[in-house]
Amino acid sequence: MAPTAKRPRRKLVARPVTFSPFARSAAHIASAYMIKRQMIENKLHEFCQLTPNGECKCNDKRNIDETESDSDGESSEGVVQADFAFFDPKPDDFHGVKTLLQTFLDNKEWNLSGFVDLILEQTTVGTVAKLEDDDDDGLFSVVTALNLGRYKDHKCMKELEDYVLSVCHESNLVDQLRVLFSKKARDVGLLVSQRVVNLPAQLLPPLYDALFDEVSWAVEDEPTEQLRNSFRFKTYLIVTKIYMHKKANGKLGEKADSEEEPVIYVKAEDELFHEVSSWSFSFPLKIQHVTTSEASFSFHLFNQFTFFLKNYVSMGLVMAVEADKIPTFRKQLRSLIDDEP
Amino acid sequence: MATRLQFENNCEVGVFSKLTNAYCLVAIGGSESFYSIFETELADVIPVVKTSIGGTRIIGRLCAGNKNGLLLPHNTTDQELQHLRNSLPDSVVVQRIEERLSALGNVIACNDHVALAHTDLDRETEELIADVLGVEVFRQTIAGNILVGSYCALSNRGGLVHPHTSIEDLDELSTLLQIPLVAGTVNRGSEVIAAGMTVNDWTAFCGSDTTATELSVIESVFKLREAQPSAIVDEMRKSLIDSYV
Repeated sequence: MAPTAKRPRRKLVARPVTFSPFARSAAHIASAYMIKRQMIENKLHEFCQLTPNGECKCNDKRNIDETESDSDGESSEGVVQADFAFFDPKPDDFHGVKTLLQTFLDNKEWNLSGFVDLILEQTTVGTVAKLEDDDDDGLFSVVTALNLGRYKDHKCMKELEDYVLSVCHESNLVDQLRVLFSKKARDVGLLVSQRVVNLPAQLLPPLYDALFDEVSWAVEDEPTEQLRNSFRFKTYLIVTKIYMHKKANGKLGEKADSEEEPVIYVKAEDELFHEVSSWSFSFPLKIQHVTTSEASFSFHLFNQFTFFLKNYVSMGLVMAVEADKIPTFRKQLRSLIDDEP
Repeated sequence: MATRLQFENNCEVGVFSKLTNAYCLVAIGGSESFYSIFETELADVIPVVKTSIGGTRIIGRLCAGNKNGLLLPHNTTDQELQHLRNSLPDSVVVQRIEERLSALGNVIACNDHVALAHTDLDRETEELIADVLGVEVFRQTIAGNILVGSYCALSNRGGLVHPHTSIEDLDELSTLLQIPLVAGTVNRGSEVIAAGMTVNDWTAFCGSDTTATELSVIESVFKLREAQPSAIVDEMRKSLIDSYV
């Protein structure tokens, strides 16, 4: 019997802590809420209850204490415990979602408010993560899938299409993109996922499970045939951000320096999406993070790492993921998060 | 008339601009469309001046002014001060003041006759406000907030204040300021009125998230619907011309 292949141990790179002024303020907001909640007794529990109407209550069993126990004193604020809950998008979430999506299309001036309205109107598919019983109603994460064909007449979607087509510099992919936006638009879902940078990773599998489960429920439960078909996505289009090593010669996946990773994914799941994507391309972003030459950043997402970002430049990344690869993605995401010590 | 616009995808127009009856200040670095919207509305009537204050773009919150003068914080550079002195009409006194609370736009709310000030403002600053801006100064709070400059927007014809202002407070402030006041929001429920909009006697600029309801409240309380800049000038002309020979 052949030995079972060892699952390649993914080397965990530190996620960059707050770079852009937006991310910095979002992280401050998040940590401010966290510190306020220091008195909360509840531990995080690790199971996710998915109720039939799509509301997902996520509790993570792992005590944050454990993950931070081997930190050697750099966690200045101490350990904070919080209960996160998932909700359907509501009109009241407008400002929170808008803040999260401020740099969705880099610094392009577009109808972001209209785009946020689309997300909030689609209550059947889409999730926002907030603290349970939070009076201040702070929003930590939004995730949704918008059908390109269903919303293609909206100004914001047209501006999004123009932007994505304009930043694509690979001629063979421009045609594929155009097809996705026109002929195949009815089968394409724009996957929007944005969160505060320091959201605990334990929330990711339930968050994406919530999304993809809602999509499959919508296919059965939506009142009209047209709506049901609008959630039968064959492809997901993802627009996201990464950090690429300055010395990497433009192509993703080529190591220029043996010590430093060529690509750093701001969101952990983007790496998994990238691996199962049918195609992807990256493009330089106009909004760049500010780094001093001596700057070093540490970040406590999975473990404690010190990380120098002066050699990296922020890039946008657009990927197309076939819907049949999603179960693989979900499994890999779960194992990635579960593997964390 | 009230106009809706954005500064680089940000709806907080009152942060990046300062509008009075005699001049308009606009932050540099925004797209040309931001500047040109102001120009289109105001071009022939009052000068629109691009500037920074202390190297920053948040000029609306750092300075306080009306048609008589402009107060700048201590961190305004000499070049910026000179640029403003050169670009603004001679009738406007431009003064840099030493005040610990340097975000003057947040601590002072004023129109051409009266000003509301932060309760902890220096005595000297209060006198300077009265001198430079030619106004009567009242130390007040708005809905319990001491940052009066942030939570209300005033013109000579009306004012919009924080939505949680009580009726008693509204009446008291209205008597003090001698203008009609209304409690409302801007930019789809934002309570920071002065950050979301900027206004003078005949026009207002609001963030693009402002709903139609909010816009109609703004237009009615500031009496913008029938207001024309020429009306103001005509009124002034009547008082300036003593007699025809």
